[in-house]
Amino acid sequence: MSNRWNFPDLGIGVGLRTVHFPHILTSWPKVDWFEAISENFMDSEGRPMATLEEIAERYPIVLHGVSMSIGSTDPLDLEYLRKLKALARRVDARWISDHLCWTGVSGRNVHDLLPLPYSDEVLNHLVKRIRTVSEILERPLIVENVSSYVEFAASTTTEWDFLARVAEEADCGLLLDVNNIYVSSFNHGFDPAEYVDAIPADRVVQFHLAGHTNKGTHILDTHSDYVIDAVWDLYARANDRTGPTSTLLEWDENIPDFEIVHREALKARAFRAVIPEESYAV
Amino acid sequence: MQSEGRLEDLQQWMQAVVVSREETEAACALASAASTERISSVEDVILPSSTLAPAERVAIYHRMYLLRMMEALESDFPCIEHFVGHGRFHKLVADYVEVFPSRSYTLNRLGDHLPDFIQSDESLRHRSFLYDLARLELAVTHAYDASPANPVTPELIAAVPDDGWDRARLRPVPSLQLMAFRYPVSEYLESVQEDLEHPSTTRKDSWYAIYRRGLSVRRLELSRRGFHLLLDLREGKTLGESLARLARKFRRGVSEDELFSWFRDWTANGIFSSVEI
Repeated sequence: MSNRWNFPDLGIGVGLRTVHFPHILTSWPKVDWFEAISENFMDSEGRPMATLEEIAERYPIVLHGVSMSIGSTDPLDLEYLRKLKALARRVDARWISDHLCWTGVSGRNVHDLLPLPYSDEVLNHLVKRIRTVSEILERPLIVENVSSYVEFAASTTTEWDFLARVAEEADCGLLLDVNNIYVSSFNHGFDPAEYVDAIPADRVVQFHLAGHTNKGTHILDTHSDYVIDAVWDLYARANDRTGPTSTLLEWDENIPDFEIVHREALKARAFRAVIPEESYAV
Repeated sequence: MQSEGRLEDLQQWMQAVVVSREETEAACALASAASTERISSVEDVILPSSTLAPAERVAIYHRMYLLRMMEALESDFPCIEHFVGHGRFHKLVADYVEVFPSRSYTLNRLGDHLPDFIQSDESLRHRSFLYDLARLELAVTHAYDASPANPVTPELIAAVPDDGWDRARLRPVPSLQLMAFRYPVSEYLESVQEDLEHPSTTRKDSWYAIYRRGLSVRRLELSRRGFHLLLDLREGKTLGESLARLARKFRRGVSEDELFSWFRDWTANGIFSSVEI
């Protein structure tokens, strides 16, 4: 099954991180695609932007944001969206994603992916805003489930039911972060398989994978380690439902050499039924 | 917590907890007291897990806030941190973001008010030195992200007719920032970067052009008069007007040799992006 917009299966990608720039620019590794954090490039005309443009000439790029704050009760930041759209055009972004969360209110930004209650009223709020953003960007927004450490008393449904309803009613795509599902399932005590099984498979455009830190009483979504087996199993389960779907490994703390990160990402091959026909690597 | 108004209440409450300087339990109590009567305690908002109480759960977000701010400012102001030490820098960041929290989608501009904040912080020793050092580090971050521009070539400069210089307007590259310092902060920055012996923090006036050449940020030391000439040129004054103003300010003109030397240096360093006659 492919997604309903026919966004391509780009294969297995790696999150673009500054520490890897020298390696990428000198070795041009055989990577299917890269995901760039939008906000790191939106206001830069210096080395970050020059590097991204150089990389975008050789690899497909997807833009992944952390500050759209789609769930905030503040007005949408139209200047941010204008810059995001311009950046996407500049690097020929295959799609644009951000998180189903809020990052601040009353004009402030705490730069964290804060969760939302799962209620009808919040659903309506999100649906309106996602539709507006998709119109402005002239493409469907792809939203990602976040890891969370709290559950709200105001929630009236499960996260997976809420996510599925947001996707259907806002007509948006999903970036399913399998590690986030696992982290939240540990923190909140639900069955992650039930979550994966409830997601509308034809809306999944991309998967995220990452490592995390288990503190015993809770798990932190640190992106600081290898992917654990339970997350690979969840990924396989999700992949069975969606078919081969663009997959990306994130590594943001204690980042090892590029080859180690890439090798970890390529483990996803074992769980994908089909390798993409087209090789994007140089 | 089911209407948009209630979502806003919840977000106001949670943000107040996350950014608070208090311990999490006290932060929750303060946020609840400041909230509408719909939120009277953390238990009204957050459910417990099998292992953590509501306040312990929201504490995870609370703890991460300052760490994130710290990480962003450490990256942009490594010399300030080097000078004051990690612990004092942490307090400076906590004090600073309380007054100047991030209001942008990017953390790149979080430190824009840090020099002024340092200057106003009477608890900081050597704060005049630190004010200059923060201005320098901030200028470096601005130059790093500025728009690129090709510098004028010596050939283009040579092509300006002799009688055209008086009315010529020399446009600097967009990244150019002209900085006057009262302390040797450029030398300090270099000593940190190169792991050299640090200069004294006693007063020593200096003037610098901070700019980007290609993708690298550079610092070029200027004479005081050269600095003022560049200030006028950057404002769009003609070379003739700028030289006349310089002569009035310093009560003496610039010799041809001196002017030639300055322009040779500035052109070679890629300070200008165009010459308009």
